[in-house]
Amino acid sequence: METILQGIKEGIYLILQMDAEVVQVTLLSLQVSLSALVLSALIGIPAGAASALKKFPGKRLLLNIVYTLMGLPPVLAGLLVYLLLTYRGPLGRYELLFTPAAMIIAQVLLATPIIWGLTARAVMTLEQNVYDTAVTLGASRRQASFTLVREARNGIIAALTTAFGRVIAEVGAVMLVGGNIRWATRVLTTSIVLETRTGNFSTALALGMILLTISFLVNLIIIMLEKRTFRYDNTIQIT
Amino acid sequence: MTIQFKLHNIVKRYQEREVLNIDRLEIANGKIYTILGPNGSGKTTLLRILALLLINDQGNLEVLGEKVNWSKSQLLRLRRQMSMVTQTSYMFQGSVNYNVAYGLRKRKIPEREIKRRLQEVLEMLGMTAYQEADARTLSGGERQKTAIARALVVKPQVLFLDEPTSNIDMASAAEIEKHILKINKSWGTTIIMVTHNLFQARRLADELIFLHEGHIIEKGSMEEVFNQPGDERTAAFLRGETVF
Repeated sequence: METILQGIKEGIYLILQMDAEVVQVTLLSLQVSLSALVLSALIGIPAGAASALKKFPGKRLLLNIVYTLMGLPPVLAGLLVYLLLTYRGPLGRYELLFTPAAMIIAQVLLATPIIWGLTARAVMTLEQNVYDTAVTLGASRRQASFTLVREARNGIIAALTTAFGRVIAEVGAVMLVGGNIRWATRVLTTSIVLETRTGNFSTALALGMILLTISFLVNLIIIMLEKRTFRYDNTIQIT
Repeated sequence: MTIQFKLHNIVKRYQEREVLNIDRLEIANGKIYTILGPNGSGKTTLLRILALLLINDQGNLEVLGEKVNWSKSQLLRLRRQMSMVTQTSYMFQGSVNYNVAYGLRKRKIPEREIKRRLQEVLEMLGMTAYQEADARTLSGGERQKTAIARALVVKPQVLFLDEPTSNIDMASAAEIEKHILKINKSWGTTIIMVTHNLFQARRLADELIFLHEGHIIEKGSMEEVFNQPGDERTAAFLRGETVF
């Protein structure tokens, strides 16, 4: 208990102190995970919508695979990316291993199935009359598909926040492909592992607090952006 | 008078079950048509085929002078001359304004023109006070009025109504009927309406189409059908007997 209290105290102190290394580690965490989130959204939202709306052979199987990959263990994702990027691997000549780029690729691998799968689910729960309403009012097929995505946006925002939570908090993949190199590829989660291993529990806890805080802030921004764009909330009134 | 819809030998099946089989039907412009019949008689199926939402399995369909080939470009061109209001209208997430402007935005109409037409149609329906309101918090009657507004704002040649007043109170229904008549008379919009309500059919329709088990058993002008039904099943339906 004392360690935890000490950690919280030290955490507040670390945040206030703006230690250069802590700031760098925090910013790198954000940079890697936000880049991964944006790339995964660019792949996952269209892919999710398309796999929900289009009829094609193997659709069930594809979605089943995507749902399975939503639970892909981070270390396994890291291992796959490692094997791709290692000097003898197929993408070895780009020399990306142990760089933030490698970490982003690994996190994209983790986040994309989540966004894809949850977007597909959100779009599939819409009823036929949403599409019919759009086309009877003159929307083209493409415009109607965009409308469906728009109408499914609550589910898609849930997908984005879930995916961000997963990548900002994972350690296995970034450790493997990033290597936890000081000033280069060390992020919050890998620092926590390191500090714990070396017995600096309160520093580890402090870093954990920072991790939770930035996660909280990013989610707050996502929710505020949503509110500002759409204004109307869909809260069910419980009486 | 021009013929806007020509159906010849139109058949629709769900799995093995035949739900619609229409030998011949022509629909002329500028009139109000009412499709009547018991549940499961194929009314909505017919309406959805006319609105190009459902592909017929067999037969020839001509819409607005074109033989329908279901190509993407033809569908868009034809659908943009028609619009529809259903029994429980789906409201897009957003304001009444957003919902009513939807069809205009998809047609890439300039914003100034959108504003003008929005104002015009909302004034006509007495909905200006609700413009900024969240469309999903409206009462049933206001929702249907919003649905009518967004269907009318695109100035369709044909308006499809699938039991547009069956979920709302009588006062709101009467008001909506008034607007249906008005736009038919002043804009010349063809109206094709499915209803369960005989009184409503009588108040609005120029032409009646009776469906029974997917077949048209009677069609003709309202006066004709009400005064001298040709089919015993229609006569019984009009007397209020539930023979279907």
